[in-house]
Amino acid sequence: MKYILMMNTMKAGHGVPSWPKKDLQAHIAFMIGLNKELHERGELVSAEGLSFPDQAKLVHAGKDGRPVTDGVFPESKEFLAGFWIIDVDNPQRAYEIAAKASAAPGPGGVPLNMPIEVRQVMSGPPPDML
Amino acid sequence: MKYILLMSGTKAGVEGYHAWPKQDIEAHMAVLHSINQDLTDSGEFVATQGLAEPKEAKVVRGEKNGLPVTDGIFPESKEFLLGYWIVEVPNAERAYAIAGRISAASVNMPIEVRQFATHEAKSR
Repeated sequence: MKYILMMNTMKAGHGVPSWPKKDLQAHIAFMIGLNKELHERGELVSAEGLSFPDQAKLVHAGKDGRPVTDGVFPESKEFLAGFWIIDVDNPQRAYEIAAKASAAPGPGGVPLNMPIEVRQVMSGPPPDML
Repeated sequence: MKYILLMSGTKAGVEGYHAWPKQDIEAHMAVLHSINQDLTDSGEFVATQGLAEPKEAKVVRGEKNGLPVTDGIFPESKEFLLGYWIVEVPNAERAYAIAGRISAASVNMPIEVRQFATHEAKSR
């Protein structure tokens, strides 16, 4: 079963966090270690970090089909900071991995315990929609 | 340059989609398939996925003991990721053009376009 674990922790307009450099390094080292562990267990499908919300654009098609871009988002919007796609035996394992990612170290090495959204990835659209 | 195009919607929006006539859903899926095919032919396609229904979503936090705490309660206004496309394109404008096509195929719904954090990709 494939799951996507999403860190929706960024707010509109934010750039690089203003943490002390060593705390940022410890956070990134933790994430690299987690990815390595998941890879070694054969559970990692992919993991990506996204550029910061100040670079995000919202696109919709205009009447003539041309893309209309906008960079204005509501203050309350949560931005995807990064995600993991994992292939695991059951949802409980997905939740375990999400909890591990949740506890990544933040400023001063204190676990962030940030919320991680866990969703199953569909292998394709339902057959009656094809 | 890799970009992710994110399609999001609320639970109410997803329910509205399920109420579409079958032929409209089929036409919508057919256009999305043709976009995937075009991106494959142009060498820009990296990946695409649809996600399971928002009602199946859970949010997980690590507790002090490291054990997972799961919750499935979300505000009504929350926008859930419905699906995404990852594309590799020469510039941002091309990513916006693809997002515009996907939008046009999907009742002009907004598509969020984000670049991957390349500096992190290099360090892995």
